[in-house]
Amino acid sequence: MAKSAGPGGEDGLNAAQTADDVVVLEKIEKSFRVGESWVSVLKGIDLAIARGEFVALMGPSGSGKSTLMNIVGCLDKPTSGRYLLLGRDVSSLSEDELARVRRKELGFIFQTFNLIGRVSVLKNVEMPMVLCEMPKDQRRARALELLENVGLAHRVDYSPINLSGGERQRVAIARALANDPDIIIADEPTGNLDLKSSDEVMRIMNHLNQEGRTIIMVTHNPEITEHCSRVIRLRDGKIVEDAP
Amino acid sequence: MKLSDTLEYITVSFTADRFKTFMSSLGIIIGVLSIVVMLSMGEGLYSGVFGEFQGMNLDVINVVPGTWSQDENGPPNFRSTEEPAKLSDKDVDALKGVAGVKSAAPRTSAQVVISSRGRNASATVNGISPEEELELKGKVEEGRFLTDSDYRAVVIGKGVAEDLFRMKVSPGNKLRLYYDDRSMDFKVVGVQGDEAEISIARYDPNMEIYVTHDAMKDLLGRESYNYQQIEVTVDDPTQAETVAARIREALKRYHKDEAFSAVTSRSMLQSLESILAMIKYVLGGIAAVSLVVGGIGISNVMMLTVKERIKEIGVMKAIGATRRDIQRQYLLEAAMLGMTSSLIGIALGAGISVVIGKLAGLPSLVTWQSVAVGLLFGTLATTIAGVYPASRAAKLDPIEALRAE
Ligand SMILES: Nc1ncnc2c1ncn2[C@@H]1O[C@H](COP(=O)(O)OP(=O)(O)OP(=O)(O)O)[C@@H](O)[C@H]1O
Ligand SMILES: [Mg+2]
Repeated sequence: MAKSAGPGGEDGLNAAQTADDVVVLEKIEKSFRVGESWVSVLKGIDLAIARGEFVALMGPSGSGKSTLMNIVGCLDKPTSGRYLLLGRDVSSLSEDELARVRRKELGFIFQTFNLIGRVSVLKNVEMPMVLCEMPKDQRRARALELLENVGLAHRVDYSPINLSGGERQRVAIARALANDPDIIIADEPTGNLDLKSSDEVMRIMNHLNQEGRTIIMVTHNPEITEHCSRVIRLRDGKIVEDAP
Repeated sequence: MKLSDTLEYITVSFTADRFKTFMSSLGIIIGVLSIVVMLSMGEGLYSGVFGEFQGMNLDVINVVPGTWSQDENGPPNFRSTEEPAKLSDKDVDALKGVAGVKSAAPRTSAQVVISSRGRNASATVNGISPEEELELKGKVEEGRFLTDSDYRAVVIGKGVAEDLFRMKVSPGNKLRLYYDDRSMDFKVVGVQGDEAEISIARYDPNMEIYVTHDAMKDLLGRESYNYQQIEVTVDDPTQAETVAARIREALKRYHKDEAFSAVTSRSMLQSLESILAMIKYVLGGIAAVSLVVGGIGISNVMMLTVKERIKEIGVMKAIGATRRDIQRQYLLEAAMLGMTSSLIGIALGAGISVVIGKLAGLPSLVTWQSVAVGLLFGTLATTIAGVYPASRAAKLDPIEALRAE
């Protein structure tokens, strides 16, 4: 557990944290209200992820992997605990401040791709840059370049609806890279893909990691973890294993 | 997100579902349409009708036989079985004796056939007392006006002189007038200057001709001759209503069981004005109701749209759209829907106004003002209608939205 912050005392919260840690979670808890009662899903997560790591997050269904990813991805806030993203405490940021963090610092890849079907592939990839108000020709050039990098230069004017699953996920990767984020959050990116597409996506992910990007990825497939520098296992809302 | 990008993004949704977009805009289209029709007709009627009245002396009092129903200033006259009064020189003399009366000009008109150089046409002939017709007298363009002692002399309107016959009729020419089985020869002594047509009354003063009452009596047959109208002018225009009341008192003596009315032009104009105002309110009510109904329709459609796109909104939020980005997108979408509907409504409204104007023979002006008001209210109604759906969209939780199917 070299990199995870131990349950160190109140005085030593940053003890295990190094300057190069991009994600630091301290005593993160998350509960959901279900009817009259509260269900505790994350039960004290302490975790530090250094720049350039390729982390696989595994665990049985319902163990809280997606819940954890949503918090790391700034889509959700922990019920308690502290979260430092790139050295900045984001646990107390407002919803719109979190949105700005998401668009600049994080790239998301989802199991179900989550592309916008009403607009073209190119526009999908441009969207995060549109949100950042990047000039038009600049963002178009970048979107074209990113699509070329994932081998989809010939599909820019397609609607995502007319693409195969593998192609869609590659568009999603291009979109995730639009604002050149340091951290990629991927929740079962190959979960809906066949073997060939899955390999293709993992090849790209690997390449991104080699470029120096930190990747945190949920997966159920043990074979895939061979690309990863670190495997974290979650069970019932707790980290039960953290190994290279 | 920049405004221009938001707008570009919105246009996608319009082109995507034209039919739904159109159906949802129907209420707004109708609302804006009625605003434009209302303002155009109102504007047309006002500028048309009142423009025509402008040249007229509003402070004349018309004394006419019978009961004029909108005579607001007298007590309502329920004895409608009364004979209409026969106005005669006695009345004219009595009127001249009423304090504040400047002149009293009796008139009788009839439709006659006139013939010039063997060609016939129809025109309205008016028997008048020349010395009392100060206004007409001032409008002679060629020749001279009538005098009280004229008999077989006629003054004609410019239209009669220039348009009625193939050859222009000038002072010195002869005209023959036919009425029933009688006919009389007249010599044209004067031609009146051009006068504006009063289109709502379908009255063109240029097609009138004037003779003295003496000649008129002989043309129509002396036994049944009386005046159809006595036009009274007053010394002090502000006292017109008071003088009218005095006139009613004074003439009552001569017409105990006969009905007559003394009405100022201003009071006629006022009742016309109140009719116009009522039309305006009714149209305004229709416009307001359809804008409200249209707004509710747009609001519902926007709610559906937000529901349909809940996943997309989740994606937008996940990749970094702020509440404000989303809010603005849906508000602008509603506003643009409103603007397009308003433009359609304006186009239809303008078309309808022109058609109604043509059919009713009324002037109808589609002013920039009515276009602007239509656009403003249409867009405003939809934008207000968009506020709630837009804020619902903005407040969506990204995780829940992403989970939606
Ligand atoms: N909004 C919520 N309200 C109530 N319970 C929730 C909510 N979100 C998640 N949970 C519960 O939290 C638990 C963990 O869910 P989570 O989606 O994180 O699991 P997971 O590890 O990603 O599972 P899977 O591998 O199936 O995706 C589940 O029992 C789920 O029912
Ligand atoms: Mg999950």
